[in-house]
Amino acid sequence: MLKLLLAFMALVAPATAFATDSVALSSMVFVEKTISDADGKAKTTLHEPKVVTPGDRLIFIVNYQNRGAAVARNFVVTNPLPNAVAYQGTADAAAEVSIDGGKIWGALAALKVADGANRWRSARPEDVTHVRWTMKQAIPVGAQGKLSFRGIVR
Amino acid sequence: MAVGTTAGTTISNTATASYDDPGGNQVSVPSNTVDIVVDELLDVTVATADAGDIVVTPGSINRVLSFTVTNTGNGSEAFRLTPNAAVGGDQFDPTTTSIVLDTNGNGVYDAGIDTVYTQGTNDPVLASDASIRVFVLSSIPAGQNDNDRGIVELTAAATTGTGAPGTTFAGQGQGGGNAVVGSTGADGTDSGRYIVQNATISFAKSAVVADPFGGTTSVPGSIITYRLIATISGSGTLTNAAISDAIPTGTTYQNGSITLEGTTLTDAADGDTGSFASNAITVGLGSVSGGQTRTVTFRVRIN
Repeated sequence: MLKLLLAFMALVAPATAFATDSVALSSMVFVEKTISDADGKAKTTLHEPKVVTPGDRLIFIVNYQNRGAAVARNFVVTNPLPNAVAYQGTADAAAEVSIDGGKIWGALAALKVADGANRWRSARPEDVTHVRWTMKQAIPVGAQGKLSFRGIVR
Repeated sequence: MAVGTTAGTTISNTATASYDDPGGNQVSVPSNTVDIVVDELLDVTVATADAGDIVVTPGSINRVLSFTVTNTGNGSEAFRLTPNAAVGGDQFDPTTTSIVLDTNGNGVYDAGIDTVYTQGTNDPVLASDASIRVFVLSSIPAGQNDNDRGIVELTAAATTGTGAPGTTFAGQGQGGGNAVVGSTGADGTDSGRYIVQNATISFAKSAVVADPFGGTTSVPGSIITYRLIATISGSGTLTNAAISDAIPTGTTYQNGSITLEGTTLTDAADGDTGSFASNAITVGLGSVSGGQTRTVTFRVRIN
Protein backbone atom coordinates (compact mmCIF):
# COMPACT_ATOMS: atom_id res chain seq x y z
CA MET A 1 0.00 0.00 0.00
CA LEU A 2 2.82 2.37 0.91
CA LYS A 3 4.61 1.56 -2.30
CA LEU A 4 1.48 2.21 -4.26
CA LEU A 5 0.96 5.56 -2.52
CA LEU A 6 4.53 6.67 -3.27
CA ALA A 7 4.13 5.76 -6.89
CA PHE A 8 0.92 7.74 -7.02
CA MET A 9 2.54 10.78 -5.42
CA ALA A 10 5.42 10.66 -7.83
CA LEU A 11 2.94 10.73 -10.63
CA VAL A 12 1.01 13.75 -9.43
CA ALA A 13 3.70 15.81 -7.73
CA PRO A 14 5.08 17.63 -10.76
CA ALA A 15 1.57 18.56 -11.89
CA THR A 16 0.41 19.90 -8.53
CA ALA A 17 0.85 23.55 -9.45
CA PHE A 18 -0.97 23.04 -12.71
CA ALA A 19 -3.83 21.11 -11.22
CA THR A 20 -4.87 23.49 -8.48
CA ASP A 21 -4.59 26.78 -10.34
CA SER A 22 -6.29 27.79 -13.48
CA VAL A 23 -3.13 29.41 -14.85
CA ALA A 24 -0.02 27.28 -14.86
CA LEU A 25 3.41 28.86 -14.62
CA SER A 26 6.69 27.05 -15.13
CA SER A 27 10.22 28.35 -14.77
CA MET A 28 13.26 27.04 -16.60
CA VAL A 29 16.88 28.19 -16.50
CA PHE A 30 19.36 27.43 -19.24
CA VAL A 31 23.07 28.11 -19.37
CA GLU A 32 24.50 29.35 -22.63
CA LYS A 33 27.96 28.08 -23.52
CA THR A 34 30.01 28.99 -26.52
CA ILE A 35 32.30 26.18 -27.55
CA SER A 36 34.65 25.81 -30.46
CA ASP A 37 33.97 22.75 -32.60
CA ALA A 38 36.61 20.66 -34.35
CA ASP A 39 36.79 23.15 -37.23
CA GLY A 40 37.40 26.03 -34.82
CA LYS A 41 33.94 27.47 -35.41
CA ALA A 42 32.23 28.93 -32.37
CA LYS A 43 29.00 27.19 -31.52
CA THR A 44 26.53 28.23 -28.86
CA THR A 45 24.81 25.52 -26.88
CA LEU A 46 22.03 25.67 -24.32
CA HIS A 47 21.49 23.20 -21.55
CA GLU A 48 19.76 23.00 -18.20
CA PRO A 49 22.56 23.07 -15.65
CA LYS A 50 22.75 21.57 -12.21
CA VAL A 51 25.78 23.74 -11.46
CA VAL A 52 27.24 26.94 -12.86
CA THR A 53 30.32 29.09 -12.27
CA PRO A 54 30.61 32.88 -11.94
CA GLY A 55 30.46 34.48 -15.36
CA ASP A 56 28.14 31.85 -16.85
CA ARG A 57 25.42 33.33 -19.05
CA LEU A 58 21.92 32.21 -18.07
CA ILE A 59 18.60 32.41 -19.92
CA PHE A 60 15.50 32.43 -17.73
CA ILE A 61 12.29 31.28 -19.36
CA VAL A 62 8.81 31.49 -17.87
CA ASN A 63 6.01 29.59 -19.62
CA TYR A 64 2.39 30.31 -18.79
CA GLN A 65 -0.81 28.66 -19.89
CA ASN A 66 -4.40 29.33 -18.96
CA ARG A 67 -5.69 25.88 -18.13
CA GLY A 68 -8.72 27.13 -16.28
CA ALA A 69 -12.22 27.66 -17.49
CA ALA A 70 -12.22 31.46 -17.39
CA VAL A 71 -10.15 34.26 -18.86
CA ALA A 72 -7.42 35.72 -16.68
CA ARG A 73 -7.46 39.50 -16.62
CA ASN A 74 -4.73 41.93 -15.47
CA PHE A 75 -2.21 39.17 -15.92
CA VAL A 76 1.20 40.03 -14.46
CA VAL A 77 4.25 37.79 -14.21
CA THR A 78 6.97 38.82 -11.78
CA ASN A 79 10.41 37.20 -11.50
CA PRO A 80 12.66 38.39 -8.66
CA LEU A 81 16.32 37.99 -9.60
CA PRO A 82 18.29 35.59 -7.42
CA ASN A 83 20.99 37.55 -5.54
CA ALA A 84 23.76 35.76 -7.36
CA VAL A 85 22.43 36.71 -10.80
CA ALA A 86 23.04 40.03 -12.56
CA TYR A 87 20.27 41.02 -14.99
CA GLN A 88 21.39 41.21 -18.60
CA GLY A 89 18.22 42.42 -20.29
CA THR A 90 15.31 41.04 -22.22
CA ALA A 91 14.24 41.25 -25.82
CA ASP A 92 10.68 41.79 -24.65
CA ALA A 93 9.80 45.49 -24.86
CA ALA A 94 6.79 45.03 -22.58
CA ALA A 95 9.01 44.10 -19.64
CA GLU A 96 9.54 46.51 -16.79
CA VAL A 97 12.23 46.30 -14.16
CA SER A 98 12.67 47.40 -10.58
CA ILE A 99 15.90 48.25 -8.85
CA ASP A 100 14.47 48.65 -5.36
CA GLY A 101 12.93 45.29 -4.57
CA GLY A 102 9.71 45.87 -6.49
CA LYS A 103 8.57 49.27 -5.21
CA ILE A 104 9.21 51.39 -8.33
CA TRP A 105 8.92 49.97 -11.83
CA GLY A 106 9.89 51.23 -15.26
CA ALA A 107 12.19 50.87 -18.20
CA LEU A 108 15.81 50.45 -17.05
CA ALA A 109 16.84 53.67 -18.81
CA ALA A 110 14.25 55.65 -16.81
CA LEU A 111 15.43 54.48 -13.40
CA LYS A 112 17.99 56.29 -11.27
CA VAL A 113 20.11 55.03 -8.39
CA ALA A 114 21.12 57.20 -5.43
CA ASP A 115 24.85 57.75 -5.68
CA GLY A 116 25.85 59.72 -2.60
CA ALA A 117 23.96 62.66 -1.13
CA ASN A 118 21.74 64.39 -3.72
CA ARG A 119 23.48 62.63 -6.57
CA TRP A 120 21.94 60.15 -8.93
CA ARG A 121 23.21 57.94 -11.67
CA SER A 122 21.41 55.95 -14.33
CA ALA A 123 20.53 52.44 -13.26
CA ARG A 124 22.67 49.67 -14.71
CA PRO A 125 21.48 46.16 -15.58
CA GLU A 126 23.20 44.71 -12.50
CA ASP A 127 21.10 47.00 -10.27
CA VAL A 128 17.90 45.22 -11.30
CA THR A 129 16.20 43.28 -8.52
CA HIS A 130 12.94 42.28 -10.26
CA VAL A 131 11.62 41.95 -13.77
CA ARG A 132 7.92 41.82 -14.63
CA TRP A 133 5.59 41.60 -17.59
CA THR A 134 2.14 43.19 -17.55
CA MET A 135 -0.26 41.84 -20.17
CA LYS A 136 -2.57 44.47 -21.59
CA GLN A 137 -4.94 41.85 -22.87
CA ALA A 138 -6.64 39.16 -20.86
CA ILE A 139 -5.37 35.61 -21.27
CA PRO A 140 -8.12 33.54 -22.92
CA VAL A 141 -8.79 29.99 -21.88
CA GLY A 142 -6.17 27.68 -23.33
CA ALA A 143 -3.81 30.47 -24.39
CA GLN A 144 -0.13 30.16 -23.59
CA GLY A 145 3.02 32.20 -23.91
CA LYS A 146 6.68 32.38 -23.14
CA LEU A 147 8.66 35.14 -21.42
CA SER A 148 12.41 35.30 -21.10
CA PHE A 149 15.30 37.36 -19.85
CA ARG A 150 19.03 36.97 -19.56
CA GLY A 151 21.28 37.02 -16.57
CA ILE A 152 24.88 36.33 -15.69
CA VAL A 153 26.19 34.54 -12.60
CA ARG A 154 27.91 37.16 -10.45
CA MET B 1 32.50 40.13 -4.21
CA ALA B 2 35.15 41.06 -6.68
CA VAL B 3 35.63 37.48 -7.73
CA GLY B 4 32.04 36.34 -7.88
CA THR B 5 29.44 34.44 -6.01
CA THR B 6 30.80 32.22 -3.24
CA ALA B 7 31.18 28.59 -4.23
CA GLY B 8 28.36 26.41 -2.96
CA THR B 9 25.74 29.18 -3.13
CA THR B 10 22.39 27.96 -4.48
CA ILE B 11 20.70 30.13 -7.09
CA SER B 12 16.94 29.67 -6.66
CA ASN B 13 14.57 31.11 -9.23
CA THR B 14 10.79 31.32 -8.86
CA ALA B 15 8.44 33.44 -10.96
CA THR B 16 4.96 34.51 -9.82
CA ALA B 17 1.88 35.30 -11.87
CA SER B 18 -1.07 37.26 -10.63
CA TYR B 19 -4.37 37.91 -12.35
CA ASP B 20 -8.01 38.61 -11.70
CA ASP B 21 -10.52 35.83 -11.98
CA PRO B 22 -14.03 36.45 -13.38
CA GLY B 23 -15.24 37.26 -9.87
CA GLY B 24 -12.71 40.11 -9.64
CA ASN B 25 -10.58 38.30 -7.07
CA GLN B 26 -6.82 38.50 -7.46
CA VAL B 27 -5.18 35.11 -7.83
CA SER B 28 -1.47 34.53 -7.34
CA VAL B 29 0.33 31.53 -8.81
CA PRO B 30 3.98 30.61 -8.19
CA SER B 31 6.04 28.72 -10.70
CA ASN B 32 8.22 25.78 -9.85
CA THR B 33 11.58 26.70 -8.30
CA VAL B 34 14.76 26.02 -10.22
CA ASP B 35 17.84 25.47 -8.01
CA ILE B 36 21.35 25.70 -9.40
CA VAL B 37 24.51 25.43 -7.32
CA VAL B 38 27.47 27.73 -7.97
CA ASP B 39 30.62 25.71 -8.52
CA GLU B 40 34.05 26.61 -7.21
CA LEU B 41 36.23 28.39 -9.73
CA LEU B 42 39.94 27.74 -9.20
CA ASP B 43 41.88 30.89 -9.98
CA VAL B 44 45.06 32.44 -8.61
CA THR B 45 47.43 35.25 -9.48
CA VAL B 46 51.04 35.84 -8.45
CA ALA B 47 52.59 39.30 -8.68
CA THR B 48 55.97 40.60 -7.62
CA ALA B 49 55.69 43.00 -4.69
CA ASP B 50 59.10 44.56 -5.28
CA ALA B 51 59.20 48.07 -6.69
CA GLY B 52 62.24 47.21 -8.76
CA ASP B 53 65.29 44.98 -8.92
CA ILE B 54 66.63 43.90 -5.53
CA VAL B 55 70.23 45.13 -5.19
CA VAL B 56 72.66 42.47 -3.99
CA THR B 57 76.39 41.96 -3.66
CA PRO B 58 78.25 38.84 -4.84
CA GLY B 59 78.30 36.07 -2.22
CA SER B 60 75.49 37.55 -0.12
CA ILE B 61 72.86 35.26 1.44
CA ASN B 62 69.18 35.43 2.39
CA ARG B 63 68.40 38.13 -0.17
CA VAL B 64 64.62 38.63 -0.18
CA LEU B 65 62.24 38.77 -3.13
CA SER B 66 58.59 39.58 -2.29
CA PHE B 67 55.51 38.27 -4.06
CA THR B 68 51.76 38.59 -3.55
CA VAL B 69 49.65 35.46 -4.11
CA THR B 70 45.92 36.19 -4.50
CA ASN B 71 43.03 33.71 -4.63
CA THR B 72 40.92 35.14 -7.46
CA GLY B 73 38.57 32.15 -7.36
CA ASN B 74 35.27 32.07 -5.49
CA GLY B 75 36.07 29.49 -2.83
CA SER B 76 38.63 28.75 -0.14
CA GLU B 77 41.65 26.98 -1.62
CA ALA B 78 45.17 25.87 -0.69
CA PHE B 79 48.00 26.79 -3.01
CA ARG B 80 51.28 24.99 -3.64
CA LEU B 81 54.28 27.30 -4.06
CA THR B 82 57.24 26.46 -6.29
CA PRO B 83 60.28 28.65 -6.97
CA ASN B 84 62.32 28.38 -10.16
CA ALA B 85 65.68 30.10 -10.53
CA ALA B 86 66.61 28.33 -13.76
CA VAL B 87 65.00 30.83 -16.08
CA GLY B 88 66.49 32.52 -19.11
CA GLY B 89 67.13 36.17 -19.75
CA ASP B 90 69.53 36.67 -16.87
CA GLN B 91 73.25 36.35 -16.16
CA PHE B 92 73.14 34.01 -13.16
CA ASP B 93 70.89 31.62 -11.27
CA PRO B 94 70.39 32.62 -7.64
CA THR B 95 70.30 29.67 -5.22
CA THR B 96 66.86 29.68 -3.60
CA THR B 97 67.34 28.67 0.03
CA SER B 98 63.82 29.06 1.45
CA ILE B 99 60.30 30.33 0.93
CA VAL B 100 58.76 32.20 3.85
CA LEU B 101 55.11 33.09 4.44
CA ASP B 102 54.38 36.54 5.86
CA THR B 103 52.48 35.05 8.79
CA ASN B 104 52.40 38.27 10.79
CA GLY B 105 50.97 40.05 7.76
CA ASN B 106 53.17 43.15 7.95
CA GLY B 107 54.39 42.82 4.37
CA VAL B 108 58.03 42.68 5.44
CA TYR B 109 60.28 39.65 5.89
CA ASP B 110 60.91 39.05 9.59
CA ALA B 111 63.58 36.40 10.13
CA GLY B 112 62.57 33.91 12.82
CA ILE B 113 59.03 35.32 13.07
CA ASP B 114 57.50 34.61 9.67
CA THR B 115 56.91 30.91 8.96
CA VAL B 116 59.17 28.94 6.65
CA TYR B 117 57.14 27.23 3.93
CA THR B 118 57.36 23.52 3.19
CA GLN B 119 55.53 22.31 0.12
CA GLY B 120 52.67 19.96 0.98
CA THR B 121 52.93 20.74 4.69
CA ASN B 122 51.78 24.33 5.11
CA ASP B 123 50.44 25.23 1.69
CA PRO B 124 48.73 28.58 2.39
CA VAL B 125 44.94 28.36 2.44
CA LEU B 126 43.35 31.52 1.08
CA ALA B 127 39.69 32.51 1.26
CA SER B 128 38.12 33.85 -1.89
CA ASP B 129 39.69 37.22 -2.76
CA ALA B 130 42.31 36.90 0.01
CA SER B 131 46.02 37.24 -0.61
CA ILE B 132 49.26 36.48 1.18
CA ARG B 133 52.75 37.93 0.91
CA VAL B 134 55.40 35.33 0.14
CA PHE B 135 59.15 35.84 0.44
CA VAL B 136 61.72 33.94 -1.60
CA LEU B 137 65.20 33.95 -0.05
CA SER B 138 68.24 33.31 -2.20
CA SER B 139 72.02 33.22 -2.07
CA ILE B 140 73.93 35.15 -4.69
CA PRO B 141 76.92 33.33 -6.22
CA ALA B 142 80.30 34.83 -5.41
CA GLY B 143 82.17 36.20 -8.38
CA GLN B 144 79.18 37.74 -10.16
CA ASN B 145 80.01 40.92 -11.99
CA ASP B 146 78.59 44.37 -11.55
CA ASN B 147 75.10 44.72 -13.11
CA ASP B 148 74.60 40.95 -13.52
CA ARG B 149 70.93 40.08 -13.12
CA GLY B 150 69.38 36.91 -11.64
CA ILE B 151 65.69 36.08 -12.01
CA VAL B 152 63.59 33.81 -9.76
CA GLU B 153 60.04 32.82 -10.66
CA LEU B 154 57.41 31.92 -8.09
CA THR B 155 54.47 29.74 -9.13
CA ALA B 156 51.33 29.19 -7.07
CA ALA B 157 49.03 26.32 -8.08
CA ALA B 158 45.66 25.28 -6.65
CA THR B 159 46.14 22.01 -4.75
CA THR B 160 42.80 20.73 -6.01
CA GLY B 161 44.27 20.76 -9.48
CA THR B 162 45.27 22.84 -12.48
CA GLY B 163 44.75 22.56 -16.19
CA ALA B 164 43.02 24.14 -19.14
CA PRO B 165 40.19 26.52 -18.19
CA GLY B 166 37.01 24.48 -17.81
CA THR B 167 38.76 21.37 -16.48
CA THR B 168 36.41 19.95 -13.84
CA PHE B 169 37.22 18.14 -10.61
CA ALA B 170 33.90 16.50 -9.74
CA GLY B 171 32.67 16.97 -6.18
CA GLN B 172 35.86 18.72 -5.05
CA GLY B 173 34.47 22.24 -4.94
CA GLN B 174 33.66 24.16 -1.79
CA GLY B 175 30.07 23.50 -0.76
CA GLY B 176 29.96 20.11 -2.43
CA GLY B 177 29.82 21.25 -6.04
CA ASN B 178 32.50 20.73 -8.59
CA ALA B 179 35.80 22.57 -8.71
CA VAL B 180 36.32 24.10 -12.15
CA VAL B 181 39.58 25.53 -13.44
CA GLY B 182 39.08 29.22 -14.21
CA SER B 183 40.64 31.52 -16.76
CA THR B 184 44.02 31.56 -14.99
CA GLY B 185 44.43 27.79 -15.37
CA ALA B 186 44.38 27.62 -11.55
CA ASP B 187 48.03 28.60 -11.41
CA GLY B 188 49.96 31.83 -11.65
CA THR B 189 53.61 32.85 -11.98
CA ASP B 190 55.59 36.03 -11.73
CA SER B 191 59.29 36.75 -11.52
CA GLY B 192 61.43 38.76 -9.15
CA ARG B 193 64.85 40.10 -10.06
CA TYR B 194 68.15 40.52 -8.29
CA ILE B 195 70.78 42.86 -9.65
CA VAL B 196 74.40 42.75 -8.58
CA GLN B 197 75.93 46.07 -7.68
CA ASN B 198 79.60 45.76 -7.01
CA ALA B 199 82.44 48.27 -6.60
CA THR B 200 86.17 47.80 -7.02
CA ILE B 201 89.04 50.05 -6.03
CA SER B 202 92.33 50.65 -7.84
CA PHE B 203 95.30 52.76 -6.92
CA ALA B 204 97.80 54.96 -8.76
CA LYS B 205 100.85 56.19 -6.86
CA SER B 206 103.17 58.94 -8.00
CA ALA B 207 106.04 60.83 -6.36
CA VAL B 208 107.46 64.32 -6.73
CA VAL B 209 110.98 65.05 -5.38
CA ALA B 210 112.18 68.44 -4.23
CA ASP B 211 115.90 68.70 -3.28
CA PRO B 212 117.26 71.34 -0.89
CA PHE B 213 118.72 73.26 -3.82
CA GLY B 214 115.46 73.93 -5.65
CA GLY B 215 115.99 70.97 -8.00
CA THR B 216 114.46 67.50 -8.28
CA THR B 217 117.40 65.22 -7.44
CA SER B 218 117.04 62.48 -4.84
CA VAL B 219 119.70 63.33 -2.28
CA PRO B 220 119.70 63.20 1.52
CA GLY B 221 117.45 66.00 2.66
CA SER B 222 115.24 65.89 -0.45
CA ILE B 223 111.49 65.87 0.26
CA ILE B 224 109.37 63.30 -1.59
CA THR B 225 105.68 64.05 -1.90
CA TYR B 226 103.72 60.85 -2.57
CA ARG B 227 100.30 61.09 -4.22
CA LEU B 228 97.87 58.12 -3.98
CA ILE B 229 94.80 58.26 -6.19
CA ALA B 230 92.13 55.69 -5.36
CA THR B 231 89.58 55.14 -8.14
CA ILE B 232 86.32 53.40 -7.20
CA SER B 233 84.46 51.87 -10.14
CA GLY B 234 81.22 49.93 -10.59
CA SER B 235 77.61 50.66 -9.71
CA GLY B 236 77.95 49.65 -6.06
CA THR B 237 79.41 51.28 -2.98
CA LEU B 238 82.58 50.43 -1.10
CA THR B 239 82.05 50.59 2.63
CA ASN B 240 84.79 51.19 5.19
CA ALA B 241 87.39 51.65 2.48
CA ALA B 242 90.81 52.75 3.75
CA ILE B 243 94.17 53.56 2.21
CA SER B 244 97.37 52.48 3.97
CA ASP B 245 100.94 53.03 2.84
CA ALA B 246 104.18 52.15 4.59
CA ILE B 247 106.93 54.78 4.80
CA PRO B 248 109.81 53.64 2.51
CA THR B 249 113.01 52.45 4.11
CA GLY B 250 115.65 55.19 4.27
CA THR B 251 113.11 57.96 4.57
CA THR B 252 111.44 59.75 7.46
CA TYR B 253 107.78 60.70 7.59
CA GLN B 254 107.17 64.44 7.78
CA ASN B 255 104.79 65.05 10.69
CA GLY B 256 101.40 66.50 9.83
CA SER B 257 101.81 66.02 6.09
CA ILE B 258 98.78 63.78 5.35
CA THR B 259 96.09 65.33 3.15
CA LEU B 260 92.83 63.91 1.85
CA GLU B 261 91.26 65.76 -1.09
CA GLY B 262 93.59 68.68 -0.32
CA THR B 263 92.60 68.92 3.37
CA THR B 264 95.30 68.34 5.97
CA LEU B 265 94.66 65.56 8.48
CA THR B 266 96.33 65.12 11.87
CA ASP B 267 98.68 62.25 12.61
CA ALA B 268 96.83 61.17 15.76
CA ALA B 269 94.11 58.50 15.68
CA ASP B 270 91.43 61.05 16.51
CA GLY B 271 88.40 62.76 15.04
CA ASP B 272 89.69 62.95 11.48
CA THR B 273 90.28 59.89 9.35
CA GLY B 274 94.04 60.23 8.98
CA SER B 275 96.70 58.71 11.23
CA PHE B 276 100.38 57.85 11.32
CA ALA B 277 101.39 54.76 13.32
CA SER B 278 103.87 51.88 13.04
CA ASN B 279 105.71 53.82 10.33
CA ALA B 280 102.71 53.81 7.99
CA ILE B 281 100.00 56.28 7.13
CA THR B 282 96.33 55.28 7.06
CA VAL B 283 93.39 57.29 5.72
CA GLY B 284 89.84 56.05 6.11
CA LEU B 285 87.59 56.83 3.17
CA GLY B 286 84.25 55.73 4.67
CA SER B 287 81.60 54.76 2.09
CA VAL B 288 82.45 55.65 -1.47
CA SER B 289 80.18 54.90 -4.42
CA GLY B 290 81.43 53.87 -7.83
CA GLY B 291 82.63 56.56 -10.21
CA GLN B 292 84.46 58.62 -7.56
CA THR B 293 88.13 59.13 -6.73
CA ARG B 294 89.96 59.99 -3.50
CA THR B 295 93.38 61.60 -3.48
CA VAL B 296 95.74 61.22 -0.50
CA THR B 297 99.16 62.86 -0.22
CA PHE B 298 101.96 62.68 2.35
CA ARG B 299 105.61 63.70 2.53
CA VAL B 300 108.84 61.98 3.56
CA ARG B 301 112.47 63.19 3.78
CA ILE B 302 115.37 61.17 2.41
CA ASN B 303 117.77 60.34 5.26
